[in-house]
Amino acid sequence: MTRILAVDDEPLYQHLYKVNLEKEGYDVVTASNGEDALDMVTSRHPDLVVLDVMMPRLDGITTCERIRQFSNVPIIIVTARGEENDRVRGLNVGADDYVVKPFSATELIARVRAVLRRSQTSEQPTQSRYFMHGNLKIDFARAEVWKDNKPVFLSATEYRLLIQFAHHVGEVMTAEELLVAIWGSAYREDKEILWVSIARLRQKLEDNPHSPQHIVTRAGLGYLMPPL
Amino acid sequence: MTCISTKLEVIKPEYLYSIGNIITQATEWKPALDEISQLVHSIIIFDNLAVYLSDSKNNSVDVMYARAMGRGRKAEADVSWGETLANQIIACNQTILREPSLDPQQDRLQQAYMLGIPLTAQKICLGAIIFIRFGGPCFDSESQQLAEFIAGQITLLIQCQNLQLEYKKLEAQQAQSQLQEDFISTITHELRNPLGFIKGYTTTLLRSDTTWDQTTQQEFLEIIDHETDRLEELIENLLDSARLQSGQLKMQFQQVITDSLINTVITRTRLHYPDLSIIIESDKNIPPIVGDAGRLAQVLENLISNAVKYAPGSDIAIVLRKEKEYAVISVKDHGPGIPEQYLGHLFERFYRIPNQAPNVHGSGLGLYICKQIVDSHRGYITANSIEGKGTSFDVHLPYKP
Repeated sequence: MTRILAVDDEPLYQHLYKVNLEKEGYDVVTASNGEDALDMVTSRHPDLVVLDVMMPRLDGITTCERIRQFSNVPIIIVTARGEENDRVRGLNVGADDYVVKPFSATELIARVRAVLRRSQTSEQPTQSRYFMHGNLKIDFARAEVWKDNKPVFLSATEYRLLIQFAHHVGEVMTAEELLVAIWGSAYREDKEILWVSIARLRQKLEDNPHSPQHIVTRAGLGYLMPPL
Repeated sequence: MTCISTKLEVIKPEYLYSIGNIITQATEWKPALDEISQLVHSIIIFDNLAVYLSDSKNNSVDVMYARAMGRGRKAEADVSWGETLANQIIACNQTILREPSLDPQQDRLQQAYMLGIPLTAQKICLGAIIFIRFGGPCFDSESQQLAEFIAGQITLLIQCQNLQLEYKKLEAQQAQSQLQEDFISTITHELRNPLGFIKGYTTTLLRSDTTWDQTTQQEFLEIIDHETDRLEELIENLLDSARLQSGQLKMQFQQVITDSLINTVITRTRLHYPDLSIIIESDKNIPPIVGDAGRLAQVLENLISNAVKYAPGSDIAIVLRKEKEYAVISVKDHGPGIPEQYLGHLFERFYRIPNQAPNVHGSGLGLYICKQIVDSHRGYITANSIEGKGTSFDVHLPYKP
């Protein structure tokens, strides 16, 4: 049975999703905040997530971004009328479609059907929530990193740099690619900040930062996380 | 007259270091200047010291600092503070050294040597600092250098203080606009949610591709009905608040018997909350008050619905007490209470206690409206709360307004 995870902090919206989508024959599970939603994506394996943007604690955009670190599950974000920005941000971080509140039940159902149809034709390879590399473990859902089963505290930039490597194991990435991906195109030339960040990441992650195992330099080319 | 250096040694770096230290540690420029003048008094010999600041708004120059440090302080203080010189310096934005015409017959006090330095930061002249010495010798170039250094340092401090003042003003403005923004976002949220539910559940009922059983239909309709009420209440509150703000909410005063006021309120409350347990306590023979019964009922109903909302599951006590000049109506609950730091803000327009549970709705208008209504009865409302024990709102209404 196709399972849908509906995330909204308002119980009446959860209920609205549930009655309408269950009537369509979907199995509907609900969560009332982003953190719970992340857990449920990993524990209940939904085929589609309907995600409200305006939520306390972890907002919908961040939740969407985190889900995309480890899962290709289709996501429909729900935004308020007049918040075009949210819609654009949501689509930019990997949402498949959006619905604008207030919406009619039939529109919601039509969007859900359409997104599910598209996703079923292109079978999605879903990765695991966890990423392992030697003694290193990343929990994409919680944005946490562990080394030898001890938590490592990374800055937001360091974390984004690390998952960039984790998503491209075995591929050499140039300094420029990394700078544009993490800092933005304005930093294209700013090699020094990359060097500093890589050095700090190695300090935190490598047993011996001078002979790194996780983030390796390919002289003249760039950096890579070698396949193990 | 040629200036002979008054000291044999040049200015030691230690002095500059100490001045720098005073400046970086200082929060206000006047005490800092006091300290500096003590420190350098052995190098720059002066009797009077004054700082003039120009007020660009009024196009005027005011003396902001004056110290007489010489031996004959009192007499010297009467003579000269270099005000004319200050005006000149501010006009031309240059250091000016002024020496008296030498007349041996003249009294020392008539011979004022003045060193005036503009206080300039980023090419804008904020004012001038004037060193005055009576009876020579004149200020040598070393003294002038050190004085200019001091002037530069003090300028930085003055500028920093000015910026802090501006910053505080902006901060207050920002807080005000933040309040407005919060209000707009609360109201948007509060207006949108009921609308979203009404739209959502109506279109659910209207779905042509499916049918709903009687109970489900009933449930959806109740949601729609309830959300319509919520919307109406919010709009009423918004209108009331706007009318109160502009003084257009007219009260219809008449004699009100508090007992019957409370009975009316309780009858209506039971309609809305049939399961709510309400305890009533009342003193005997409370004189009637003069007020608008409808608006007073609105106050009490608002307090009760707040209690239901923020102290779910608690019973509610309505206590009517006779005081000397006031009838006091209290609405008490045994809910979680309100942390003390928020109590003072409760009656402010748009105020909401931070970090409310997301499902507790409110616009930050209800208590503001209550207070305004009670105030217009020449009464007052207070909130008392003990965390973990409960909250009491006490409405004091005078017998004679």
